[in-house]
Amino acid sequence: MSDPLVIVCAGGGGVGKTTTSAALALALAARGQRTLIVTIDPARRLAGAMGVPITDVVTRVPLPAVGDRLWALMPDPRRSMGTFIDHLFADEPEARARVLANKLYIGLADAAAGVHELVAMNLVARAATDGGFDVIVIDTAPSRHAIDFVTYPGRLADLLGGRTVSWIAGLAQRASGEAPAPKGLLSWGTGRVEHLLARVTGPNLVRDTADLFGDLALVRERFVALTRRASELLLGERVAYALVAAPTAAARDDVLFLATRLEELGLRPRAVVLNRADTHPAPWARALREGPALGPAITEVLDALEQERVARATAADGLSGELGRRLPWAPIVRLPYVEVSAPEAIVAALSGELAPHLDTLLPDAR
Amino acid sequence: MTPPPRTPPRSLAPAVLVMGKGGVGKTTVAAALATLEAETRGRAVLVEFGDGESGRRALGAGHRGVEHLVITPAEAIQRGATPLFGSATLAKLALGNFAMRPLLRAAPAVRELAMLESVRQVVAARPGVRVVVDMPATGHAVAWLRTAKQGREFLASGPMFELCDRVARELVAPGCASIVVVTLPERLVLEETLELCESVARDPGLEVARVVVNRVPLPLSREGLADARALAASGGALAGAAAALVSVLEAREAASEGAAAAMEVFARGPHAVWRVPLAPVDPTSRDVARWLRAEGAA
Repeated sequence: MSDPLVIVCAGGGGVGKTTTSAALALALAARGQRTLIVTIDPARRLAGAMGVPITDVVTRVPLPAVGDRLWALMPDPRRSMGTFIDHLFADEPEARARVLANKLYIGLADAAAGVHELVAMNLVARAATDGGFDVIVIDTAPSRHAIDFVTYPGRLADLLGGRTVSWIAGLAQRASGEAPAPKGLLSWGTGRVEHLLARVTGPNLVRDTADLFGDLALVRERFVALTRRASELLLGERVAYALVAAPTAAARDDVLFLATRLEELGLRPRAVVLNRADTHPAPWARALREGPALGPAITEVLDALEQERVARATAADGLSGELGRRLPWAPIVRLPYVEVSAPEAIVAALSGELAPHLDTLLPDAR
Repeated sequence: MTPPPRTPPRSLAPAVLVMGKGGVGKTTVAAALATLEAETRGRAVLVEFGDGESGRRALGAGHRGVEHLVITPAEAIQRGATPLFGSATLAKLALGNFAMRPLLRAAPAVRELAMLESVRQVVAARPGVRVVVDMPATGHAVAWLRTAKQGREFLASGPMFELCDRVARELVAPGCASIVVVTLPERLVLEETLELCESVARDPGLEVARVVVNRVPLPLSREGLADARALAASGGALAGAAAALVSVLEAREAASEGAAAAMEVFARGPHAVWRVPLAPVDPTSRDVARWLRAEGAA
């Protein structure tokens, strides 16, 4: 069986990206594809509305319309560092215990951006192998740097695989006088830097770093294996990137930034989904406005709503035009503004709107 | 039990750190606070991490008196490292080392600490001028603020320790920095905001001075809703369309009621709550500054 197709949804905060991703997954499942929705930064509101727990276990989404075809993975960011270490050190219990007690690790555990994405991607990689999915929709964190997680496995692998680890380990030994300083003209620069670093950071940091890296080096093979699969899924032939935007200046800046960042990574957005961008009044609004005369209160409300829609549509037209010039190859899928209270109702309405556009959003390799 | 008497909001510290989850309008509120400050006291600084586009856009054309500073990670590391190593040349030598480069690229806490140190330097170089900082999105921002104390704890001594200590004492400390949290009037977002307030108070021990509830929906006319309900119940040709209108208006009413209820919860807490109304298109920082002023900020 071949790998699943992957759609990565990226965009700034507040554009309705998580809701759109869920709607996209729902639409794919509704047309018969076995689909996994992965939310990197789970919003409790949506998870709750869809009846899915925030956990690192793949869970079926209990919606009658999709039978057992829609599944969700919403890992908790606060637990990912622990999960990551458990995965890495499954065969090295002693090293695992040392790492968990390492002060540098304790300090880094909640600051280490990218680790959560990495853990989530490892879970995705497993699901891609074992879950029998046709499509995986990945909802990235709402940040301009969300796309950077694509490169994170490689950066960490470079760090662990390069000379840095042994150099730092040696630096710790030399700083404590257990090993001789390097000799020769070539090593003069390095020796100078070592001296500077040891002076600046103090012996504790150097020792903790060296210990941590020593233990990480033990599991380097495992780390590389874990991350290779994630990289294949994110950078391979079977992936498409969808940018999600809304007609606001902040969303415009974010989507252009992300398009540039994707290009720097050698990737191209497959399509742009523009939320809150209805071109026409909703059928019900038109029916009310064109029907027999209504009372002044209702007319006033309808006028106010229409004014808001026109303001959104005008902003959306401007953004569409700009995106069309900037990303001429990327189709723009415009979605209406769905104003109802229940998040699951918004997801359902948007999935209906997305249904005709699924082939526009899926990767080519099929 | 009688509720504790409301204390008037304490004045803001020299550094104002604006936090909140992505998409709540943090950048616009930060720009508005800087604009308001410049209007009131003649000068203010807006610090932004990233490419500077967002802050420039949020500030718009008329931002006289606001100095807009953009800090990138690379500059921050260079800036933070220079005093550590004694000179820019030595700092460059050390940072460009074959082993240091991948380490700095993969070790995020170093960048965060360097960014905070840059903010500390900006505040220290401008006595009497308020510095408004547009912080990164929530979870990350709290972790940022903790790096200084964590670094201080495990380094114990040396120039890096001193850097962490300086940041912890002169920036991430009560009286040095005030936290302003931006949130939205939705129940679950507000619950997360309350958690954030508690988390920041626990570690690094900073009190949230102000909560800005952004995009508070203005209720549409109740009369219009009543009429739409009647039409929906009439069973006539337009009943279905009227029912759709009712659901839109009810969603809006629920949102404004939810906002009002949440406002009460926050009003019982120690921080002042400011509201900014929902605008159909982007408000400028001056619009938001005007609304904040009406809420008692100035």
